[in-house]
Amino acid sequence: MNRAVRLRRLLAASALLTVLGPAVGRGADAAEFSTALIPAGTYTPLLRSVKDAPAVSVAAFRLDVRPVTNAEFLEFVRAHPKWRRSQVSPLFADAHYLSHWAGDLELGPRALPDAPVVRVSWFAARAYAAAQGKRLPSTAEWELAAAAGYTRPDGRNDEALNRDLYAWIARPTPEIVPSVSGAKPNFHGVRGLHGLVWEWVEDFNTAMVTGESRGDAGLDRDLFCGAAAAGAKETNDYAAYMRVALRSSLKAVNTTSSLGFRCAQDLP
Amino acid sequence: MKTPSLLYGPLAALLLATTVLAADPTPARPKDECCKEQAAGAFTKASLYQTDARFTDDDGRPVALGSLRGRPVVLTLFYSSCGYACPMLVSDLVRIRELLPAGLRDEVAFVLVSFDVVRDTPPVLRAYRETRHLDAQWILLHGADADVRELAALLGVKYKQEADGNFAHSNLLTVLNREGEVVHQRTGLKDGHAEAAAALAALAKR
Repeated sequence: MNRAVRLRRLLAASALLTVLGPAVGRGADAAEFSTALIPAGTYTPLLRSVKDAPAVSVAAFRLDVRPVTNAEFLEFVRAHPKWRRSQVSPLFADAHYLSHWAGDLELGPRALPDAPVVRVSWFAARAYAAAQGKRLPSTAEWELAAAAGYTRPDGRNDEALNRDLYAWIARPTPEIVPSVSGAKPNFHGVRGLHGLVWEWVEDFNTAMVTGESRGDAGLDRDLFCGAAAAGAKETNDYAAYMRVALRSSLKAVNTTSSLGFRCAQDLP
Repeated sequence: MKTPSLLYGPLAALLLATTVLAADPTPARPKDECCKEQAAGAFTKASLYQTDARFTDDDGRPVALGSLRGRPVVLTLFYSSCGYACPMLVSDLVRIRELLPAGLRDEVAFVLVSFDVVRDTPPVLRAYRETRHLDAQWILLHGADADVRELAALLGVKYKQEADGNFAHSNLLTVLNREGEVVHQRTGLKDGHAEAAAALAALAKR
């Protein structure tokens, strides 16, 4: 039995105890179960300008084991009226914000309670995270956690993972986003980083610098085409390219039918 | 491999459900924040002042952008150690100020917010103010990373710190009306002074 399996069994057992025990799960127990510890590591940016460091050190942090669900986001908008669909400022979310919900406080048939919430803006995702005392993960943190395979911390050659990932990318976005429970946990016990929805990161607006200070017109040449030719680390990592392209194309108010988020926390 | 995973899912859901129920003593719906704000004169739907971001000025005093309400504002992001674009941005703002009609000139707030959240502390910004001879109409702000990032996102500014410590950033100058709504934006350097001044002049009190 490998470590991941043993860890998961241990977690499942402790969860069972928590649920059945007299002190019903809250506090540290719950935090440890709904979030996973991502050990310190190194993130190698896919594309970088000539001045960027080749690798970024990432400190250990905790990451939610799954994306935020419709049910959870509903609780949030219930408590924070300014984030309801009918009340949100156009400054903080575009016109499609939560448009798949049946109403301000009603999920309806197109938003399963335990499916990742989508059609949320970066502002809304951050507000949700802040309300939980959490934050969005940085690009480096997200990519570090997502680099794991199903059974190993380095998923690059994890055939099962790659097969699932590319199958997902090839499928059109489903009309109704499926439940998070169908997503397999990776080595860290984190589910749905691949194969469910795309996810917001805190620093999405660093992905592509528009109007670079040393010449506005140099954007594509300096940061995309040039870097793609010279600086790309894994030319076969097509999904990672898609994430870079998506992040760089987004504005903070945007919402899409396949873009959700999850929260992260610093270690205490 | 499969079994523990399958076991894990429903348990997670169950536990989370319990946690949510147990840890969420939702008060009987807060007596509408919306209406209280309305009474106090809520910011408009397009006002940047709705942001929760908080800053500190170069005297170390806390500043909410909403405190600028009622004044025309020129806002730009910069960092004080910037060797090329930022000094020009500041010079651009000085030039725009010169183009304003006399009454308005003393009323407009020129706000510089640093995205170098580590190095541009209030004392460093204070030194920058002195070096550049910026008077009281200039407001120099420091903020936590999350606050600066939120403001940048609201303005549409993208920026990134490079390995050498410099920042690659958009050169964006934004004019806000008295309600904090964006009425004019200019990208690039060294031109567009007249347009920015005209956008401000349109905000003059008649």
